[in-house]
Amino acid sequence: MKLFKAASAVALACTSSIVMAQTIDIKITNLTHAHSFTPRLVIAHDKTVDAFEPGVEATTALAWLAEGGVIDDAQNAASAGNNFEALLGPASTDNTSNTWQRFGGPLVAATSSSNYSFDTMNKPYLSVLTMLIPTNDAFAGLDSIKIPTEPGTYTYMLNAYDAGTELNDELNSTRTDIVEQTTGNALGGYGVPGVAGAGAPFAVVPLGTGGTGVAVKVGFAEDGTTAIGANEVVDGTDGPVHIHRNVLGDTSLTDGASDLQSTQHRWLNPVARVTITIPAP
Amino acid sequence: MNMNKINLALLPLIAVLVSGCGDDGKDGATGPAGAAGIDGTDGTNGTNGTNGADGTNGNLAVYTVQLTNLTYSQPLSPAAIVLHEPGYNIFIDGEKASVALEQLAESGNPSDIISEASAATQYLDAIASDGATAPRSIGTVSTLVVPLLDVDDLRISLTTMLVDTNDAFTGLNSADISNMNVGQSISFMAPSWDAGTEANTETASTIPGPAAVAAGGGGASAGFDAARDDIFDRVHFHPGAVTKANADDASKEGLSTSILTEADRWDNPTSRIVITRTR
Repeated sequence: MKLFKAASAVALACTSSIVMAQTIDIKITNLTHAHSFTPRLVIAHDKTVDAFEPGVEATTALAWLAEGGVIDDAQNAASAGNNFEALLGPASTDNTSNTWQRFGGPLVAATSSSNYSFDTMNKPYLSVLTMLIPTNDAFAGLDSIKIPTEPGTYTYMLNAYDAGTELNDELNSTRTDIVEQTTGNALGGYGVPGVAGAGAPFAVVPLGTGGTGVAVKVGFAEDGTTAIGANEVVDGTDGPVHIHRNVLGDTSLTDGASDLQSTQHRWLNPVARVTITIPAP
Repeated sequence: MNMNKINLALLPLIAVLVSGCGDDGKDGATGPAGAAGIDGTDGTNGTNGTNGADGTNGNLAVYTVQLTNLTYSQPLSPAAIVLHEPGYNIFIDGEKASVALEQLAESGNPSDIISEASAATQYLDAIASDGATAPRSIGTVSTLVVPLLDVDDLRISLTTMLVDTNDAFTGLNSADISNMNVGQSISFMAPSWDAGTEANTETASTIPGPAAVAAGGGGASAGFDAARDDIFDRVHFHPGAVTKANADDASKEGLSTSILTEADRWDNPTSRIVITRTR
């Protein structure tokens, strides 16, 4: 996770034993080729909070973030009671075990966010999560790093994880020719198949239509051979949380296996850089 | 020296032999003289003089840099290696590439980066590594020298092209190598970036490396092109080579116009860089 510390801290004659609110600056740079980041969830927390853990099944809150980019009720009322706001407590508040905020809007490929001024309320660890769009349930994660105490600038590289809550069908959620199996629901974000954010403002390059599906195929059950409704897509799972195996994509915008583009939508880890600045006291 | 001591020890014996004498009657004949002592052997040579004191080093620290190509089939171009103080960057990801970086990332030529680095105020030393580094191999050692007073806040930047690509490169971006001890080594595993200066078409006329040469293109004419035609003109992490694998089946996953094969793919990290302080 932490590939290298880009800049050494300036040693000052101070100790971190004084308990006080600490406001730090956080900046994130999207270093993918053609993915957008959803608004960022930044959490300062103690050891009892773990927003995600490779090898462990995702919470419903993580599924909302990884499938739809949703963190709190204000973004999506339907997520109330199941999102990170429900899991962690109110934003910008000392929730004893944590404090968190949602920062920014869409962050397109190869751009940097502004500096987020974030009061850690003296919690020792930091996690940052943001969904990659367009994917089924990929997110970039900074996994519980110890917040530095010495003033300085610290750099962390983030890998892309698969939340494991949805099969990677790579199907365009704006399509109306296909629906979720059994329910007949339209494709889209949380709880249904298809990649989220296929439309503006998140999609920086066009998505195709007509793809037959990648990890699961249109018209077939998860085994790939048992026929279901010809216009139906299974909404299975592939958890627990793990490093994402990347998308396949294809070179056709009208057919082929995927509605993503193999020349644009692939990535190799890492996918993002987080820069944390600890101010001098 | 020892032989001389033995020779002296024989002298009392010789003295006993010459002191024999008769009693009544004629004196007996004089006994024969004792045999002459053995000649002493030559003395050993003198010991060598002590070595002269070490020369002063002009207060310089010396570093070696060695690159390992971790890919299966992507040769790495000669690398631009720069030692510098903080504040200098060959590139900043998320921002536009310099023309010097474009030269390296599209044609594998490190010379513009080195000359630009030499002009930077943070510059300490720079060198182009000796030749390309073949896939799956350890490259040559490059040696760089910096003033001793700069070792406490020292950075290394390194860029080298994956030459069977449009504009992919790997290396280090101002990595911290401050306060290394003499004899100490630091090893970095590096990802690969996309310079963002050329669309990843993977054609013979836009890739300089041997895969393109084999396909009837490649070389200098397929290297640097001043036009910037990627989807955006900013440095970012490389998405990997698509290649022509699976281009013609129903999945249409592959890029039919690509001259690369599945063997030309890679995953990160693509290079390992070992820095050793030797003085």
